[in-house]
Amino acid sequence: MKDLPDTGPATPPPAPERKIDAQAAIDHFIQGCGSHIGSYLDACIHCGQCSQACHFHEVTQDPKYTPALKLQPITRVYKRHKAPLSGVKRMLGLVPPELTPEYLQEYEELIFDSCTLCGRCTEVCPMGIDIASVVALSRQAFVAAGLGPPDLLQAAETSRDKGSPLGLTAEVLRDRIEWLSDDNEVEIPLDSETADVLVTVSSIEMMKYPDSIVAVAKLMNAAGVDWTISTKGYEATNFGYLAGRGDIAKIMITRLVDAAESVGAKLLVIPECGHAYGAMRWTGANILGRPLPFEVVHITEFVAQMIRDGKLKLRKTEESVTYHDPCQISRRGGATADAREILAAYSSDVREMDPTGNHNWCCGGGGGVQAIGTAADLRHAVFQIKINQVEATGAKTFVSACANCRLTMDESREVLHWPQKVQSLVEVLADRLEN
Amino acid sequence: MPSPIALNASALRAAAHPAARPVAAWLMAGVMALLLAVFVTVALALAWAGPAAAQTVRPPANATTNILPPGPDMQGGVLGNLSDGTIWHNIRKGAAGNSQDLRAGSGVLIQSQGDDWRLIRDRWVLPIAWKVLAGVLAVLVVYYAIRGRIKLKAPRSGRVIPRFSLVERVVHWFVASLFILLGVTGLIILFGRPFLLPLIGPGAFAVLASAALQGHNLFGPIFIVSIGALFFTFARGNGFRWVDLKWLLKGGGMLGGHASSGRYNFGEKSWFWWASLCGLALSLSGLLLLFPDHLPGFLQGASAEVPPERILMQWATLVHAIAATAFIAFGLGHIYLGTIGMEGALEGMTRGTVDETWAWEHHDLWYEDHKAGASTDTSRAEVRAAAGDV
Amino acid sequence: MSFLELTQGPLWYLASAVFVIGVLWRLIGILRLGRSTDRSVARASGLGGALKAIALHSVPHGGNLKRTLYHFLTGYGFHLGLFVLLFFAAPHVAFIKGLTGFGWTPLPRWGFLIAAEAAFAGLILMWLRRMTDPVMRRLSDADDHIATWLVFVVMLTGCLALQEAHDSLRALHLLCVEALMIYFPFSRLMHAFTFLFARAYTGATYGRRGVTP
Repeated sequence: MKDLPDTGPATPPPAPERKIDAQAAIDHFIQGCGSHIGSYLDACIHCGQCSQACHFHEVTQDPKYTPALKLQPITRVYKRHKAPLSGVKRMLGLVPPELTPEYLQEYEELIFDSCTLCGRCTEVCPMGIDIASVVALSRQAFVAAGLGPPDLLQAAETSRDKGSPLGLTAEVLRDRIEWLSDDNEVEIPLDSETADVLVTVSSIEMMKYPDSIVAVAKLMNAAGVDWTISTKGYEATNFGYLAGRGDIAKIMITRLVDAAESVGAKLLVIPECGHAYGAMRWTGANILGRPLPFEVVHITEFVAQMIRDGKLKLRKTEESVTYHDPCQISRRGGATADAREILAAYSSDVREMDPTGNHNWCCGGGGGVQAIGTAADLRHAVFQIKINQVEATGAKTFVSACANCRLTMDESREVLHWPQKVQSLVEVLADRLEN
Repeated sequence: MPSPIALNASALRAAAHPAARPVAAWLMAGVMALLLAVFVTVALALAWAGPAAAQTVRPPANATTNILPPGPDMQGGVLGNLSDGTIWHNIRKGAAGNSQDLRAGSGVLIQSQGDDWRLIRDRWVLPIAWKVLAGVLAVLVVYYAIRGRIKLKAPRSGRVIPRFSLVERVVHWFVASLFILLGVTGLIILFGRPFLLPLIGPGAFAVLASAALQGHNLFGPIFIVSIGALFFTFARGNGFRWVDLKWLLKGGGMLGGHASSGRYNFGEKSWFWWASLCGLALSLSGLLLLFPDHLPGFLQGASAEVPPERILMQWATLVHAIAATAFIAFGLGHIYLGTIGMEGALEGMTRGTVDETWAWEHHDLWYEDHKAGASTDTSRAEVRAAAGDV
Repeated sequence: MSFLELTQGPLWYLASAVFVIGVLWRLIGILRLGRSTDRSVARASGLGGALKAIALHSVPHGGNLKRTLYHFLTGYGFHLGLFVLLFFAAPHVAFIKGLTGFGWTPLPRWGFLIAAEAAFAGLILMWLRRMTDPVMRRLSDADDHIATWLVFVVMLTGCLALQEAHDSLRALHLLCVEALMIYFPFSRLMHAFTFLFARAYTGATYGRRGVTP
């Protein structure tokens, strides 16, 4: 009998110098608890069906990974301080106790390590509760209390200080683009005076999958787009958003807005990165506090439009291909159909996973979990679901449209010794350009 | 071979999430609440029904009366060839005559079988049934007083192995909850007249009987579904084997010595088949009693003779009472052994797992099978079970 | 004052008042928590998304039915059964007619039986699952159990009074109903109304993104 694989990560030993301010979390919860959150918390009937949709529960079968459990810290605050009729209950002593540092620590792993904000649980919920949004709010409260994985928080702070979580400063960006441009003989406009389109980059791509940048450049050039990358604002990932640091999230967004305004871009293209899309497209204006002065599209949306307009021509392959839906682009982004259009133009043998599209399983590393060291074992275990899905399709090529998914999957497949290559959708497209 | 994942269950349980509550406590609380609900119903109904019974009782909403529309006058001159004595004798024996009422059975003045049925029910079934039930209870009380709880011989190992799956437990408690509801209401219907009526008086008893009857009728059909589910869930592993005979000859270990058994021992297997058969008898007779007007055509008669459905109903009440008594009598033993009678047995049906020591002492062959066939998956289940996450 | 007069008179009005005012208070209170406006550019209509979500989350979707079949069958059995009993059982129709003057065709007895069987089986099975499933056990709190048992006792006393021949049984049923009505606004039973809000908010959020959740 072989030894059991570790079914869950050990909770990180609480650093002794951590001072936990439970009151800060309480205040943040009280302030963030709008009517939608109140509806969610009042509607949850504890049926537990959400566990059936969560990949963490799926691979461990451990009941603690039930998504609805992640609502409990805020539920305590809501029931004690905010819920209508809680006054009557307080008189009778029927409200739950106040949050304590110990209680918060107990939930730390659930709020950070084991939620990728993928939103699958919402689909199965009979009440339609958007648990991911509550977890995102909870992260802010936990961070305000002084909790949160140090590596994720560090990534957020590095983004603020150096422009990117992976230390991609403006100088490094300039160097690397020069190198990529020379090596691949492709024109990559940097800091043009004006441009119609501002293309942003994900530092994961720039540092680990630079071919993606080249591929984007090839596609942009082939379609004859007036575009540029700007050193004023280039980092599309937003670890401030993922780590529950609203202040840093706002800085990251402001940089991009400034860059776009300075070149007069009417369109901002988000690269292959799921949460970068969600952060900019769906919450950017809310974090900024005013409407964005440009349109935001994901690279798959943009490419699909170019193909539709006849500006990009592809040599169709017969090789079978399957597509992993990044949660923030398909289920929570709404760009599900665009990827399908691209795939149809790319190959005559597109094989969908089961489930696919808006119902697809998460890679295991979304929502910043990729950057949390203590979550590594857990997300490697989760990746087995994806392996099974891909193998069931029998497709030769396996692509996705998110560098974070790709990095997660590459790390996990090394651990699990899975030979299938994970490719980027724009990269395989660039190889099939007609001219 | 001992499992490599030797976890200390109590330590892990203590480390488990504080929100996890002991399921047994909740389950027992639930059953208690069920009983409480029934008793509260009874008590409240009695409290208010007593003095004002006369004013608060009406004929049932669906009551029918037997008043017939007026017909033609009776013909006179009915002197026949038979003597009056013979005529009355025949009538007493259930002979059918002619009647203006054309409904089935209306030609019979005295339904003789009905009297037979009444005698069987009152003189045989009821007295024997209550003596059987009281006897079983008495035996259990005496046994408990003398022998006490059957304790584990060896200390608990702290390691647990899964015994009943989620499905098995849900089905078991589904049947159990209906068993209690139907048992209590059924006993009121069966024994209420001789035992309760003299105690609480006619007004209160009418309320109680009405409530018990309605509740019994309503829960009956669900019980049929549940007993079917019980059969299909537990049929596997309940076939009799040679080892069961050996177990029986050793008196199940009660005579001293160790009686080997597989997943289920002879007693448990007997209980399974007993419950299934009693359940079947109760279901069929119960359906006849519930839907006397909806019998299949070949069972219905339209002649002046006593209609077959009425005779069937008479038989059905007897079968129903006998099967119920048999079911409850065995059930009392089962409940006794599953709760206070034997240490470590209840948790198999509440938590879903049993201690390895218990498994070894009561179901050694099953224990060995389990250990031999334990896969990573089952071991993982054990680890979680030990942590309280059953 | 007899037991029946008490439960049909003062207690009934008290319970109704607590129920109506409590539910309204809670619902309005939730809405008054407010929500900041979404400044992102919508891809599709939020209202459409809200309506779609309300409809869609009533039925299984997203290919998860097999995994949640138990909840689906028991949940539907209980809720449909209870709904039918509540509004179409003959004594209830008569009671509503007595209160409001409006009546409609009640269920025949066989329909009542089927609805009651489904409701009872569903409720008992859902509660048993709550007791045995590790996920549900970890989630459940006292409110879940109290609500389940209150509803059970209400249904049980209703059935015991089915002969409609004893005032005390009718009064007992009414008393349980009144306890349930008073408990309702303070409990998770509120999901009978808040499910609309929860689905609508999620549906609107997703709907703006062009996704039906």
